[in-house]
Amino acid sequence: MSTKDIETQEYIPDHLLDEPTITPVIRPGHTFGTVTDKISAIALTRKTPRGWYIGFAIAFALAMMLFYSLAQLVLVGTGIWGLNVPVAWGFAIINLVWWIGIGHAGTLISAILLLLRQNWRTSINRFAEAMTLFAVACAGIFPVFHTGRPWLAYWLFPYPNTMKMWPNFRSPLMWDVFAISTYASVSALFWFIGLIPDFATLRDRARSRSGQVIYGMLAMGWRGSARHWHRYETAYLLLAGLATPLVLSVHTVISFDFTIGITPGWHATIFPPYFVAGAIYAGFAMVLILAIPIRKFYGLEDFITMRHLRNMAKIMLATGLIVGYGYMMEAFFGWYSANQYEGFMIRNRMTGPYAPFYWALIFCNIIAPQILWSRRMRNSVPVLFITALIVSVGMWLERFVIVVTSLHRDYLPSSWGMYRGSFWDWSTFIGTIGLFVALLFLFLRFLPMISIFEMRTILPQAEVKEAKE
Amino acid sequence: MSEISYAAPAEIDHYRQRALVIGVVALVLCAASAAIIKDRIFFSYLVGFVFWTGVALGSLAIAMLHQLSGGNWGVVIRRLLESATKTFPLLAILFLPVVAGLLFGDLYEWAHIEKVTGKEREILEHKKFYLNTLFFLGRAAFYFIVWISLTYLFNKWSREQDETGDRRLQRKLQILSGPGIVLYGLTVTFSSIDWVMSLDPEWFSTIFGVLFMGGQGLSALALIIALLVLLSKHEPLASKVKPAHLHDLGKLMLAFVMLWAYFNFSQFLIIWAGNLPEEIPWYIRRLQGSWKWVGLMLVVFHFALPFFLLLSRDLKRNARRLITVALLVVFMRFIDVIWLIAPEFQEKDFTARKLGIVMDFVALIGVGGIWMWFFLSRLKERPILPLHDPNWEDAES
Repeated sequence: MSTKDIETQEYIPDHLLDEPTITPVIRPGHTFGTVTDKISAIALTRKTPRGWYIGFAIAFALAMMLFYSLAQLVLVGTGIWGLNVPVAWGFAIINLVWWIGIGHAGTLISAILLLLRQNWRTSINRFAEAMTLFAVACAGIFPVFHTGRPWLAYWLFPYPNTMKMWPNFRSPLMWDVFAISTYASVSALFWFIGLIPDFATLRDRARSRSGQVIYGMLAMGWRGSARHWHRYETAYLLLAGLATPLVLSVHTVISFDFTIGITPGWHATIFPPYFVAGAIYAGFAMVLILAIPIRKFYGLEDFITMRHLRNMAKIMLATGLIVGYGYMMEAFFGWYSANQYEGFMIRNRMTGPYAPFYWALIFCNIIAPQILWSRRMRNSVPVLFITALIVSVGMWLERFVIVVTSLHRDYLPSSWGMYRGSFWDWSTFIGTIGLFVALLFLFLRFLPMISIFEMRTILPQAEVKEAKE
Repeated sequence: MSEISYAAPAEIDHYRQRALVIGVVALVLCAASAAIIKDRIFFSYLVGFVFWTGVALGSLAIAMLHQLSGGNWGVVIRRLLESATKTFPLLAILFLPVVAGLLFGDLYEWAHIEKVTGKEREILEHKKFYLNTLFFLGRAAFYFIVWISLTYLFNKWSREQDETGDRRLQRKLQILSGPGIVLYGLTVTFSSIDWVMSLDPEWFSTIFGVLFMGGQGLSALALIIALLVLLSKHEPLASKVKPAHLHDLGKLMLAFVMLWAYFNFSQFLIIWAGNLPEEIPWYIRRLQGSWKWVGLMLVVFHFALPFFLLLSRDLKRNARRLITVALLVVFMRFIDVIWLIAPEFQEKDFTARKLGIVMDFVALIGVGGIWMWFFLSRLKERPILPLHDPNWEDAES
């Protein structure tokens, strides 16, 4: 009985399900050659599928909508967004936090799981890292354009200037600039370095002259010598070590944007760990949303197996529970604090004008994912896909609720107000989704979406046989 | 391999009796000191109780995490962790002096609401639903029932696994551990609110429970590493514990040191920056007067020093150096728990304040001695290594 049969058969004894022999990281039968062929063929020889053109066209059109919306914003001003006092932070910050959060799974998979020697990460780390980069790019758009004068964004950096002006170092918004730019640079570097040996493979296999030249330049003279590999491994581990604290620090700094002030509903000490958990939660949901169609469309079920999907589901369940813990602490301490503003904030969230958003978020983030406790559900691809979609929506709602409900009714009832996103808010948000997907399509077409050389290392063929005699 | 060779070393008996004698003497000293420092002794006792309950709880959490994550680092310490979790019945008895402090002493201000006046009274009236003697005791009973049932089942299946090696037991342990960790998180959070946060009934911090989980994990891990190194002087551990195990455990300890610092720094920065009248007094008490040196000590010796030392690969693989760092961390965990609890004693009785700090350590040793005696007795009952742990073969290579 082949592994495929075992995996699809109705009943597997529970205690055997995670045995490597039952559900391996790669389905058996592959060799160095087949793995290399299969992955590099997508970028090199295979004719571009029609589905790719259709998907890319749609995503590209949405990305154009983003650029049009941004042009409008620059021409007319930030007034075209729905922002106004009292809700002066709206979609821009919601989307920033949402996108940055999504990026975190990529870094967790590539850095932390590498350090923890979890070799199942190998087939998903490449595109998860790509996802991180594109998500950070989308995230960066919002604060930069929220300034209204993006061409002056460099003022955010502390540099000696004739205006004798310095940014306020005590402002967490300033810390954001450093945290996010560091995150973007380290993620890009990590991704690129990981790609170098694969670029060399593509260079050697490319038939067209342009392919040889472009991949050749990207491979930076990689020859695969033992010395190359030695330096490469050292550099990669060092970068993983550098990227690991970033998983915690970036979203911690994002949470400081809220907590350092004293707005009820924002000023909560639980925010740093709970934001980090939320980020990983949303990130893994996005990896599932991407991995499930990609493995189907490109026939990569051999490499991205049920074991990957199940493990990601477990991480989602765990981080989702931490997020739930955060909500519970907020609600409990809203009452326990005996502070009338804290108490009002939590009551207003649960029963005020935005209550449907709050309860929808509780459903999406807390109730729906509990289905993942069941092993059978974790083994069902459609269930995983739908749960991941629900969680993605839920995490967006979470940021909406945090940002809007805390602001729209502050200490003075005379200045209360309501907030909703304008047309341009939505077109910008949906546009970034288009940009994200378009970039992802380009990545899938032109780069090896799974790390070829790392896949080779986890094949049985790579195991050094011990001398038995 | 015969099972007899896996029996716990006979030297345990030696440690065991010593621990009991030290514990009893220290507790008698505590009781005697009540004549001088009066109610302050309840604070000292609470320090001892909270620390050692934390060790048992941290061990429970790490044991369950190991079931879920696997990995060979857990195999060598599994029996130590399990024995630590068997101490909850003892801890339930050791909780009684805290109850005495609540009922007859001045440990918890909210228990004597009639003595409180003004704005503070209003706040306590608001919290009366949660902070009242009966509900407090009911909750404590509930926590102990949860902990005792969890550890009973865990250890029962673990014993069966030792005896039969049935692979299905592994699955059972995992099924218990998932919800078990959820229960752990909830009970630790609310017990930390009840037992420690409510010493200042006006103060609140939403990260407090998480802070406790990080601290408990670190206490348990550091203590267990120290014990493992001590016990590995003798067979059977001497030939089984390899530098690779210590390396992994050292890394895990480093991770907990960082987590502890991360949670504490988050709480401090947010409360300091907010500077709100209902939050900041808790830190003012701990960062003014002599307590500020303790706070500084925590930054340097609870975080910075172990952090930089544990970065070294050689140190983590060297048993003698690792145990030094582990003992430093255990000592700093003592200091941290004292720093959390003792500043809440606010009477102007200076003898009580000064002698109280000494008694904090005596109580830590007292509760610790009894705990250690009970713990080592449980450790002796079963083979010191889990025979049928599925990570076992991995660990041996």
